[in-house]
Amino acid sequence: MITKEILQIRSDIENNLRKMLARAVMVTELDVFALPCGCSGITVNVRGLELDDIEVFEKQMLSFFEEVASRLEIPPSFIFARLIPGSSVVAAINWRVLCDRCYPEFATASGKMPRPDIYIMHFERRGQKGKKR
Amino acid sequence: MTMKKRLYVPHPGHFDGLKELVSEAGKDIYSIFMAGSPDYVGTGRSNLSSPQIEDIREQTEYAHKNGVKVEIVLNSSCLGGRQLTPEGFNLIHWYLGQLDSCGIDTIVVADPYLVEIIARDFEMLPVVSVLSFVDSPEKARFYEDLGAHSIVVDPDVHRHFDVLHAIRDAVDCEIKLLVNEGCLYQCPFRYAHFNFFSHAFGPQPRPNVLDDYYYDRCIMLRIKDPKLITISPWIRPEDLKEYADITNVFKIGGRTHYVNWILNCVSAYTDESYEGNLMDLLDCPKALKDLYYISNRDFDGALDHWKNCPTICANCGFCRELTDRAVKVYAGGGTENEETVLWSEMAGITEVSA
Repeated sequence: MITKEILQIRSDIENNLRKMLARAVMVTELDVFALPCGCSGITVNVRGLELDDIEVFEKQMLSFFEEVASRLEIPPSFIFARLIPGSSVVAAINWRVLCDRCYPEFATASGKMPRPDIYIMHFERRGQKGKKR
Repeated sequence: MTMKKRLYVPHPGHFDGLKELVSEAGKDIYSIFMAGSPDYVGTGRSNLSSPQIEDIREQTEYAHKNGVKVEIVLNSSCLGGRQLTPEGFNLIHWYLGQLDSCGIDTIVVADPYLVEIIARDFEMLPVVSVLSFVDSPEKARFYEDLGAHSIVVDPDVHRHFDVLHAIRDAVDCEIKLLVNEGCLYQCPFRYAHFNFFSHAFGPQPRPNVLDDYYYDRCIMLRIKDPKLITISPWIRPEDLKEYADITNVFKIGGRTHYVNWILNCVSAYTDESYEGNLMDLLDCPKALKDLYYISNRDFDGALDHWKNCPTICANCGFCRELTDRAVKVYAGGGTENEETVLWSEMAGITEVSA
């Protein structure tokens, strides 16, 4: 790919959010990550996005975010927004493929915000592909 | 014809950076400024480096050999009270003595207590930081009476020429203007943010913080409405001459930037002219230089309005109109289809219904 493709995807995410919200939004960075625990995925650091925006346009955003995952060949099993704790400021959108160690942490939690810095947009429980919470 | 002026220029702190600044722009630089070690007193910015005493001594000798003065910035807005304890006082006083022995010329502090100590006990001259928020003749006189050699005026009054003239008339000490800070006008985060910086980039223990709420919220506000960039009290290179009857001492902010960024600013403010994106020159919202293109030329003559502006925006609309006309947003950045679109054409038009 990969540099040209991720540059295009960064731009597409930014453009999509702008069209949705009718104002400037900035995707400051798109990162591919792999953690020592076994989790992997991508992170999009974003500026100009608030939790309210996600709550209002969650359905439309999620649909597009799943398309992004598909373009990067990442299973869209867990998509969440990372917030600055205690505020409505969205710092990043994460597409994370959970490892066996980290999966239970989220699978046993309840609600959209299991932590003050995480807003879950989509979580697939293993064996229940496609089920959203 | 440009005015005769003294430029204080940011230095990231490493010797190679100083050598590059001096070799590329030494003749235009009156003084460099850089942070000291955060182990003793923090600063109002994040640090790219933390030069130790011997490094500062070597760099000072090198700068002086090349006709450039050296200023150290210890402008923590919160010392946590440590400075008032015997142990804290002794440690800070020892560190100030070490800096003084390096032969530095000036030292920037925000705490009045440190202004008084430095003026009384050391050869290096105390400079009152922009983080002392000197925005009135009364406050300026207070700091001068404490022993201030120079005062960096609160940028919030940069476009209030009556206040600037009153400050000039109230004191005999040097008045310095920080031309490109680019922070929000009347910023509601200012005290909390700089107090946070003071601890995050000051002596141990330092808070382990993942995200800077104040910065991210500030950036968000300016993404939602770039008029906040227009009304931010920066001074364009072309407008320096308008301040000639107040001071000829100007400070360029940006010690957390790369040297080539600093050199570009030095060139612009030396020449008092810049053709390009105004965002290239602003220190604080550097994250937005890849979002906005604002032609510096579109602001020609704006200061004539601001000089007489009562800053009651609801009754005016000048900055709104200027923003709508001048601010362009990069779209498709990093791809073959990169372009700019007017911010005013983007705002308010959604293609999606909730």
